[in-house]
Parts: sequence; C-alpha cells; structure tokens
Amino acid sequence: MALENLRGRVAFIFEEVNFDVDQIVGVKNIKITDIDELADAAMQSYDPDFRTSVRPGDLIIGADNFGYGHPHYPPMRAMRHIGITGVLAESFSPGYWRGEISMGFPQATCPGILGLVERWDEIEVDWTANEVRNLTKGTSLAIEPLSKADRAMLDAGGLIGYLQNQRQSAT
Amino acid sequence: MGYTITEKILARVSNQEHVKAGDEVMAKPDFVMAYDFPGYTDLYFKQMKEDFGIERVAEPERFAMFIDHMVPAATPKEEELHIGTRKWCAENDVPLFERKGIGHQVASEVGYAVPGAFVVHFDGHISQLGTFGTLAMGIRRNLLEALVNERISIKVPHTVRVNLTGTLGKGVMARDVFHHLVREMGPASCRFQVLEVGGPALSQLSTEGLQTITGLAMFTGAITAVVNPDDARLAYALPRARKQLEPVYSDPDAEYAKVYDIDLSKLEPLIVIPPTPANSRNLTEYLGLELTNGYLGSCASGRIEDLEIAARILQGKQVAPGFQLNVVPTSNEIMVAAGRAGYLATLTEAGAFVSAPSCDYCFGRMGAMSAKQRAVSTGTLNVRGRMGSPDSEIYLCSAATVAASALEGKIADPRKYL
Repeated sequence: MALENLRGRVAFIFEEVNFDVDQIVGVKNIKITDIDELADAAMQSYDPDFRTSVRPGDLIIGADNFGYGHPHYPPMRAMRHIGITGVLAESFSPGYWRGEISMGFPQATCPGILGLVERWDEIEVDWTANEVRNLTKGTSLAIEPLSKADRAMLDAGGLIGYLQNQRQSAT
Repeated sequence: MGYTITEKILARVSNQEHVKAGDEVMAKPDFVMAYDFPGYTDLYFKQMKEDFGIERVAEPERFAMFIDHMVPAATPKEEELHIGTRKWCAENDVPLFERKGIGHQVASEVGYAVPGAFVVHFDGHISQLGTFGTLAMGIRRNLLEALVNERISIKVPHTVRVNLTGTLGKGVMARDVFHHLVREMGPASCRFQVLEVGGPALSQLSTEGLQTITGLAMFTGAITAVVNPDDARLAYALPRARKQLEPVYSDPDAEYAKVYDIDLSKLEPLIVIPPTPANSRNLTEYLGLELTNGYLGSCASGRIEDLEIAARILQGKQVAPGFQLNVVPTSNEIMVAAGRAGYLATLTEAGAFVSAPSCDYCFGRMGAMSAKQRAVSTGTLNVRGRMGSPDSEIYLCSAATVAASALEGKIADPRKYL
C-alpha cells in the first residue's frame, strides 16, 4: 500500500513547545488498554467535545519538539481511533517520531506550520511535492522530505509490513 | 574534512570506507540488547516466530537480554514474563543477565561497552555506553528490525560537540552538568543528532559521572551521546570487551552541526522541576520546599560516587522524621563495592531504606508515591505519574542534593554539608 496524500481539517493545534503527548489522555489513563475507553479519555482537558467534533481524516498540529519527554503509545492509538490520520509539527522529538512512524502513523516536519493554519482549516499534505497546502486560505509551505526508511515504513503501513517487504526483497 | 567518531563507527558497520552525516545506510549492530518488559520483548519473541518464522537467531553472541525491571517479581504474571525471557534466551543461546543490576550499567560491566562498537536497544538510556566510545542507540520499536534482520536502516546523524573546560566546584556533580547542558543548549538542541562530549575537563570527570551525562542524553533531543575514550575509559572497557575492535576517535577537523563551550567552574547545583526534564533551575531558588520522599538510584545515578557523597553527607546523622529515603545501587558490582566501603551501612544507619539493584524505583513500581507527595530524585525523569500518582511531584537533582534534602525534609543545598 502506498502512502496517500493526507487531507482533512486541523482538528487541534498544540502550541506548547516540548509537548508531552501523554497529556492527550492524561497520565492517569495511560495504562487503559480498551481503545474506546482510551478514546473517551483523550483530549478531555483540552476540548471535551473533541471526539464528536473530529471527522475521519482530520489532522493535528504541533509546535517545536513535539513528543518530548517519555512518550507512550496509547495517546496516539486513541487519536487514530477517533479518526486523526496524521501530525504536522514545527519539529519532533526523535523517540516519539520513531515510535509513531513504526506504527505506520504519518507525520511530517513542517517549520512554520503554526503560522500557516488555524483550527478547522482544511489542509492537504502532498508527499510527492513535499508540501502542505492550506486549502481554506490558499497558502502552502514545504515539509521536510521523509528519509527513505521512514517513507518505506509509512508506505508499508508500519514496521511489520516494512520488515516483511525487506525480507521478501532480500530473498 | 575529517570524520566524527559516529561517522567512523557507522562506516565500519555499513561496510563502507566513509559515510557522512545525512547518508542513509544499512548497518549491522555489533550488539542488539533489550530488557524484558510486557508488550516489548514478549511481543518481539512472538512476532519473530509468527510473522518472520525465526525459530533461532543467528549469531546469538550478538544479542543480550537483561531482566532488571519487575525484580523481584511481585505477581505470578510478572514472573511468567521472566520465565518466557529465560526460555527464549536458553533456546536461542542468547546471554541473559538477571538480578545483576540495571542493564544499561551491567552492559558496561560485562563487556558490551566495546570502544568503537555499534549497539542498539529499544531504550534510549543505553546511550551511557557512549562513555567508552561505543555508539549505543535506543531505536524504540524498530529494535524488531535488528532482531529479525542482520542490518538496520539508519540515517547517519550529525553531531553536536560540547567542550567542557574548568573544574567542578564542591558539591556540584555530573548530574548538575547534564541538567546545565539542557538549560544552556535547550531540550531540542541535539534533536536527531549525537551529543559528543569532549574538551580538556573530560579527563577530570569520573567515568561514573560521564555515564550519568551520556545516559541522560535523550533529554537534549539527542539520539545518543558519545565520548572519545581516554586512557581511563579504555582501561575499564578493554579488559572486559566481548569483541576485539580498534577504538576510533573523531578527527580534529571533523564537521560538527554546532559546538558549545561549557565552563564547569561556573556551575552550581541545579534542580529540575516537574513536570518535564526540560525544567532546569538553580537549586537555590527552591531551597526549603517541603518534601516527603527521596530516591537515590537509577541507571543515571546510583554509582559509587553517588553513594559515597550521600554517605559523607548523612554520616552520623539521621534522615528527617517522616521522610522516606530509598537508596538503590545501580548494580550488584556497585552494591558490593559500596558495602565494602561502608557506605551502605552508613546510609542504613542514617535511616535510608537500602534496596538491591532494580529499575523499579525509577518508574514507581516500588516506593510509589501517593497524591500530594513530593520527591527529590536521581531517577531519569520527572513527568507526571512517573513514580506513582500523577498528582505527586518529582524534582530531579544530584545524589548530594538528595542526601542533603533527606536530612532537612526539604530541598537543601549539599554544599553546606561538605
């Protein structure tokens, strides 16, 4: 499966630098394994109506060093379950980035993104042109190209598919 | 233009004469290591068999497993995880280190900190092997790639160089140096890059202190930290080394993304306030803040120099009433040495609860705090809920500051006790 362009609305903008993604579900909920329960907990301290406001395909926006700290996987599991299909941020923390890319979750580094979008703008991430377009405002900005390995990981839908592809091409 | 130690190591393990920062290569790690943890190793072992048909790993000497969390097991389920790990290691002939201490430290003790080697783990604190000129990276779930394939894909990172000069003052420890780096350079200063620590003051820093600094590198955004190993680090690492490699060093004209100069003489004790390791502050701004708990241990701090300075501060005195002080040496080797030196007796007499090496105090499985409790800690992290209730608070600091604070039951300056 190839990586399709992302198109959706800006469901939320995290303006906090060094944002700790665990706050999305709250640390006290981090060990919840039931995905519906986890999704119910998500974003409660930011926007209690988030779950019902999001449409499948929506994206979220982050500031510099998004994912700093000791990120766990449940927050983004919850966000995916709600319908979020990707993250654009000014920059990402490496551990978080690597963890989510291995889950097959599209993310792009986009310096200047906070100035490009407002909440609920319609945007599109074009992986071929390496740019994000604000369809509401008619503006655009370059995204940093993915490394070959990260791109292959997303194309394969995550780590398992990626490794299976690698092993097939090696034989 | 010369090459960094990182570029040289990654060139060797990618079978290339030279690589430069930014190149994407396929690299064969010299060692692949992990600790057992639910949802990680148990899942990997299952995936290796079911998704990739791997019954036994090739070259088992390239792999190492550690049982250092949930030690000792508190529930049958925890022990089942360990049984699974023991079984997998036995079936695969992979070395297993259990009840020897915290794996990142034990890895150095048992010869995986080979100068010039490339090591991967899922946990980023493995970066502390960088003290010995080893390039050791935490690659999170991508560790599965190293478990199922001989090589892993990796982008050669750029390097940020930190030159240390001057001499540390009384009561200022390596821990303070690291937290100062985060404050001075920023928590994203080394994002996706390697933190290379060097400079004339390096030889004055203890190996243990350097392990503290390199082990915490991820909080500058670095994917690892590395040091050009001097005679003292080589004298420790080479006799234990499990692999014969020529140590490598950065060339004098190596290209760095950025260079910082840090004068150790100007540093004071620091404290990192919750809820993020980015929050380094002057200790003096927080003196007198009431505390309930203290933790001296972890893969970052809990080595002999940490135990020694704590014992010196607490010698002949008592921990403040109502204050709970947990002291956890980082490894068995360290615990034995601290026992022989009398530090453990001194700390116990002062009222500390001294526990055997384990990761469990660092993430709140042991010594968990309740809501509204507040700790000083030499653990790795101060995010909400790390050591128990999300409504408790963790202030990170040096072992000396933990000991002084234990005496007063409040955040205290160690310098007045030294």
